[in-house]
Amino acid sequence: MNQYWKYFLMLGCLGALVGIGFVSGPFVLYLATRIMILSIFALGYNLLLGRTGLLSFGHAAFFATGAYGLAITSIHISAHPLLGILIGVAAAALLSLCIGFFCVRHTEIYFAMLTLAFGMMVFALIWNLRSITGGDDGLYGISRTAISLGIVKIPIRKDYQFYFFVLLFFVTSVFLIHRIYSSPFGLVLAGIRENHIRAEFAGLSVKAYRLGVFTVSGAFAGLAGSLSALLESNVAPFSAHWTHSAEPVLVSLIGGLQTFSGPVVGSVIFVALREVLQRFTYNWMLWFGVLLLGIIIGFRGGVVGSISEAFRRYSRP
Amino acid sequence: MGESLLDVRMLNKAFGTVVTAKDLNFSLYRGIITSIIGPNGAGKSTLINVLTGLLAADSGEIWFQGREITNEPIHRRVKQGLGRSFQVVNVFGNLTLFENLAIPVLALRRRAKGMIKSIARLKEVREDVEMVLTQVGLLDEAYMIARSLSHGDQRLLEVAIALAAKPRLLFLDEPTAGMNPVERSRILETIRQLSQTGKVTFVIVEHDMDIVFSLSDRVIALHRGKIIGDGSPEQIKMNPQVREVYLGEEVA
Repeated sequence: MNQYWKYFLMLGCLGALVGIGFVSGPFVLYLATRIMILSIFALGYNLLLGRTGLLSFGHAAFFATGAYGLAITSIHISAHPLLGILIGVAAAALLSLCIGFFCVRHTEIYFAMLTLAFGMMVFALIWNLRSITGGDDGLYGISRTAISLGIVKIPIRKDYQFYFFVLLFFVTSVFLIHRIYSSPFGLVLAGIRENHIRAEFAGLSVKAYRLGVFTVSGAFAGLAGSLSALLESNVAPFSAHWTHSAEPVLVSLIGGLQTFSGPVVGSVIFVALREVLQRFTYNWMLWFGVLLLGIIIGFRGGVVGSISEAFRRYSRP
Repeated sequence: MGESLLDVRMLNKAFGTVVTAKDLNFSLYRGIITSIIGPNGAGKSTLINVLTGLLAADSGEIWFQGREITNEPIHRRVKQGLGRSFQVVNVFGNLTLFENLAIPVLALRRRAKGMIKSIARLKEVREDVEMVLTQVGLLDEAYMIARSLSHGDQRLLEVAIALAAKPRLLFLDEPTAGMNPVERSRILETIRQLSQTGKVTFVIVEHDMDIVFSLSDRVIALHRGKIIGDGSPEQIKMNPQVREVYLGEEVA
């Protein structure tokens, strides 16, 4: 696709998002906020899966670390949302650095299983450390206090205010991850996916780069987690459960692993479909599974991947 | 024979009962194009794999430019100037040629960790990549996907990736396998030119005896993990043991 078209499309999306913020009711705002949070989670995650070719089943642990980091900060230290987010993201990055250190020694199924094992351990810790994490109750009563920046105070309590707050983080994340894709680091990740032995023989410490991207994706998971804690005003231990780790995998697959915008499109489809299906049938998971099957089989390379492929074929002279 | 680049002392490597390197002792010298020959299973590829770090030696020492590298990981050996290409095409298949070569260039220039600045803005990286592409004659294909190249061109790219890391000592594992005569002469010409500048010392594993004898200054013949002949191409041609186990059918 032509560069100008891409920028045009991006501007169009941004305009639409700003528009939603001004005109929508609380329900649409809530859904759109959730979509953006899931997009941040999945965009960071796809750096690992689509770009580097590593399948992790442990990212719910980093999401939850971000969420609990914000919640604990908010309850015990200060309710300043930016401080909570900062601590949540830092904790998630630190944890993913530590867990990644052990996981990146292996690849493929062994890597996936290690991340799963670590993810389960984190879940067990959150479940059992009742005095800190609230155990199976989780933590609640997280308030969206106004962001005080010296003399000005920006309120985020109302839905549309918080929507714009999340939108800011969403746009920043999209920008940062887009930079990573076109950066040297991003190219090295693609090289590792394509041929990790050759990457090593190009003079790169493959393990160090795997650890690097693992930590970056963990930090974005933490950001998504802390934003979600603010949105729901509570955190539940099941956000750390390994079943939650499947969400960014599915979303990336739906949108297209080898595309930049795939995870965002995937998030829209995931959240919207689920919401619609839950309305019509109690058995929504069954129909959701069927639809997912159709998308994954019917759209090889994901929705974005196959559409841009069709576009390329059509525009070829 | 001049300054030694790589020294191998009492190197051993075996897979179970199959011995692929038995008490090997030899040195490789700067500027001397060396060929390693031997029948299939002689241990040529294994030797390269051990020297470049893909396989660990059972015992013995490897020294490169006066530093012991026996237990160094692959990427550190590459950074010190020890490069290799592979026997089978081993490129970054779904990336463009430009990207294929940018990866070793970024590693060499220590720019690979940048996350914010776009590659397109790193002028010196682009220049390095274009220089290597010109060297192997693939500049016009710079933005093609590596997988879509002909087999011969992929082999050229294979060598080009190794060259882009600016090695001092470069092992080429059957560099001309599957190339057509034009590509073959182009790659051999590149090897000769680079060797004459003295920047790269080549070690070649090759089955084609015409190439071995026309290109190399020195030939090492391996058989069952042992060196059975080491000398100039003429000496190797005359070596009775080498003739018996290897050259017999081809030269006699």
